[in-house]
Amino acid sequence: MTISGHSRAFLLMISLVGLAGVTAAQKEDLGVISAAPALRAEGLIIARCSVCHSADLIAQQRLPRARWEATVEKMEHWGAEISNDEADLLVRYLSARYHPGAPDQLPPLDSEFRKAEPLAQEPVAEGPLTGVAARGAGIFEHNCQACHGAMAIGGMGPKLVKTPILKHEELFLEMVLHGRGAMPAWSSVLSPQDIADIHAWLVTR
Amino acid sequence: MNEEPASRSLSRRTLLKRVIQGLGVTFALGHVIPRVMAEAGGVSKNEADHLIVHVARPLDAETPVQEFVSYLTPNSRFFVRSHFGPPPAEPLSDPNWRLSVSGLVDRPLTFTLQDLKQFEEVTLTAVVQCSGNGRVFHRPKVPGVQWERGAVGNAQWAGVRLRDVLAQAGMQTKGRHVQFQGADRPVVATVPLFIRSIPLEKALHPDTILAYEMNGRPLPLLHGAPLRVITPGWMADSCTKWLTDITVQAEEAKGYYMQTAYRVPTTPVEQGIAARGQSIPVEAMVVKSLIAAPQEGETLKSGPVSIQGVAWGGEVKVAKVEVSLDEGKTWETARLVGEDHPYAWRQWQLVWKAKTAGTFTILCRATDDHGQTQSKTSPWNPSGYLWNGWDRVTITVAA
Ligand code: HEC
Ligand code: HEC
Repeated sequence: MTISGHSRAFLLMISLVGLAGVTAAQKEDLGVISAAPALRAEGLIIARCSVCHSADLIAQQRLPRARWEATVEKMEHWGAEISNDEADLLVRYLSARYHPGAPDQLPPLDSEFRKAEPLAQEPVAEGPLTGVAARGAGIFEHNCQACHGAMAIGGMGPKLVKTPILKHEELFLEMVLHGRGAMPAWSSVLSPQDIADIHAWLVTR
Repeated sequence: MNEEPASRSLSRRTLLKRVIQGLGVTFALGHVIPRVMAEAGGVSKNEADHLIVHVARPLDAETPVQEFVSYLTPNSRFFVRSHFGPPPAEPLSDPNWRLSVSGLVDRPLTFTLQDLKQFEEVTLTAVVQCSGNGRVFHRPKVPGVQWERGAVGNAQWAGVRLRDVLAQAGMQTKGRHVQFQGADRPVVATVPLFIRSIPLEKALHPDTILAYEMNGRPLPLLHGAPLRVITPGWMADSCTKWLTDITVQAEEAKGYYMQTAYRVPTTPVEQGIAARGQSIPVEAMVVKSLIAAPQEGETLKSGPVSIQGVAWGGEVKVAKVEVSLDEGKTWETARLVGEDHPYAWRQWQLVWKAKTAGTFTILCRATDDHGQTQSKTSPWNPSGYLWNGWDRVTITVAA
């Protein structure tokens, strides 16, 4: 892992808390993880891992790396929509933050560190954004279908086809970016273009 | 058809601004989600009152141990555990719900709740306990819901005998296992269903019932309405909620929740190593006791202190409960008090004369009629089932 001078100041020292009582075998889990990947991992936990159960089930575990690997693999097998790279990142992040020696109460990720982090999004240019319905179908299937059902007809989340919110694009955006209740916030996972594509696809349904 | 055009124009500048705001919100949400989700899950306050929530969705919540000063655990204070959360109420409501009995039977049958109530009613008091209760105390730590002490409760259950229902369908001699499936479903269909079976001997035991009442009330939704299995003396993984399907089979149930989860190694395993050898399903409870009062961290005045709690042995009666105030060097026998029923827990009490100020750790351990006594810790197993180490409460006696 290469660390730029800029982000070195924001290295997450999470794993150095509560070292007492940690055996040599566990020490190899204690990596540090820099700000950008930690942020991406948190985003994945909300967007990908919270489909079937809330994220508190994850945060209460204190496991060595091998058991995190097995757990993430089991979740993929059961239907968690993550790529191999995302799985690797999650294992790295989870075994750094939630290792067996970590205290029961972990401090929240530092807020300074959050503000300093640049967006993981592609640079945004001026001008109108045009949603492409054909792309939106795939993005929906990958990210939203688990809760909103095939063809957005409803499931654990409400149906989205032919609903008033589609006519109010500002509200739709607000909802998808920020989330509400059991609806995850997508701002750290989907680009503005992705969201516009989903919207474009939904209005054709 | 919708008249809106397929392509929408959104101002990029507006979007960028929202993305930045959204980022902060993502993290804020991460912390508030449990509370919000419990609300979104339709769990009203009086259905799950004062429980300690471990997982907001699907709801997993335990009872604070001080509740156990009462013999029966009220429905609204009873621990809540399921793999996928309760199914929607509608298919479970009276006109829609059916119980199907099939497999190795002469007459496959379906029953309404009224049909079932034709059988003789049985009422019994039994402890129901999650197999993972106390998982948080295992070392090395193991994955799963990090239950502490309160994933257990004692309630009065009313229903009909499973064996009466099976007899009506006509058991075939090849049937060795009885499989249960409930109406609960995972949000994503690729997740294995919660399907379990119990061996014939337990299924035909006169105390194994299909319960429709809990503490004199119709079974609440969170506890398996309208019908759940109660296998008295066995861990709750056999007590399927929202029961819809009973299948008589020659073999044990297949699938993750029978063949992988809820199993313990037959021979002690090296700590921290995943089990590779033989394993058996978690079935009977092991002898266990809890201190309900005083509470952890409490400050007491010097003088007589009533130490009280509960103890249970599953299918075996509790013979003795002992208390230690010197980390287990010496033990004093407590008095067993209150009601005494098979499968239920026993209340116990010991009066301790707190003379000196300071911090004290109270320990308790129980022994059953077969001579099994709780040890300081339980045998480690990879999924952290069946914890029954000594219970422990630390208190302060004020000067
Ligand atoms: C397709 C549904 C689904 C998704 C998506 C999912 N999980 Fe799970 N997860 C489950 C189920 C089902 C359980 C078992 C729940 C239970 O027993 O109550 C579980 C349990 C867990 C547990 C507890 C330990 C265990 O093995 O039971 C952890 C930790 C966990 N998941 C982490 C994750 C992570 C990290 C992700 C994202 C990569 C994720 N989950 C995504 C379905 C899912
Ligand atoms: C973890 C499950 C889950 C996932 C994944 C999910 N949603 Fe949702 N969504 C919900 C729930 C639950 C609600 C209802 C929230 C509420 O009203 O409190 C909701 C509500 C919404 C609403 C508001 C509907 C209305 O009529 O007010 C929109 C729009 C929406 N989701 C879009 C999406 C999109 C787009 C995606 C994929 C990028 C997505 N959701 C992924 C669970 C989910």
